[in-house]
Amino acid sequence: MGQDKLTWENVPVNAQIPELTVCPDNTQVFMFSAVTWNRHHIHYSKDAAVNEGLPDVVVQRALIGNFLARLITDWIGESAELRKLAWKVTRSALPGRDIVCRGRIKDKIDSEDEKCLICEVTASNGNDELIASGAATVAFKVNRATG
Amino acid sequence: MDSTLPEDVLAMIGVEKIRLYDVTKRDIRRFSQAIGETNPIHFDEDYAKSSKYGTIVAPPLFCQMFTFEDVPADQLPDDGSPIEIDVPLPARRTVGGASSYEIFQPVKAGDRITVKSSLRDVFAKEGRTGRLYFVVVETEFSNQENEPVAKETATYIKRV
Repeated sequence: MGQDKLTWENVPVNAQIPELTVCPDNTQVFMFSAVTWNRHHIHYSKDAAVNEGLPDVVVQRALIGNFLARLITDWIGESAELRKLAWKVTRSALPGRDIVCRGRIKDKIDSEDEKCLICEVTASNGNDELIASGAATVAFKVNRATG
Repeated sequence: MDSTLPEDVLAMIGVEKIRLYDVTKRDIRRFSQAIGETNPIHFDEDYAKSSKYGTIVAPPLFCQMFTFEDVPADQLPDDGSPIEIDVPLPARRTVGGASSYEIFQPVKAGDRITVKSSLRDVFAKEGRTGRLYFVVVETEFSNQENEPVAKETATYIKRV
């Protein structure tokens, strides 16, 4: 969208990745359970969730991972590939509440076949409390002469 | 491996389960809708043709769609939690945890995905509110060319 093509060279360490805010509702949590065939009751029954000490049905760990993945893919487009995503959920995320995904370039790696960016990623709720944190590896193809 | 755990739990570690799934455009479209993804590369053929992939590709974590075995509901634990983490532990509730997901190549419609899943580890830690059990499941996904597509190592936490 009018922006310069992202390259490994033009992204400095500490650069921020454009923020992504999502607000998964009950329907989305239900759809994600359905599409992954996840029948765990804490994702569809408020009574069951409350009985387990949770405030409401909770957003799936795996769905939070997809939001963090989209934070990266919205940013890189077709310039690079998301190679790895690791994340840990530390607080329940609830439907109908904002989840703000953020990222920052932590390191740059130049290997023989690929140039990679290592990014710190986080997901927070509207109160700026951390829901999940982790790391993403973004890989750029290297066209080296083999000659 | 945690030697304080019951023998029957330890015996489950490393046992592999294998199953096959055929990927359709509809699978990719539905998964994209479920994660709120609006990039046309996942559902618009004309758009996808002009992309570097030349065809519709699935979002990066798409193989999550095949992580849980589609057993009938009556084979699941009472809380409906996945059979992959149905380990006989003195713990009732399963929560969040962590995941490490590697992507080796994009999944396309027509791919036949082999899912190889196994319990990698089970260990206990004392938490603030009692004993926590960590259940680690590894799932490898490969395609019809026998090439690796993705691999996930997920850690689930169980507590009383």
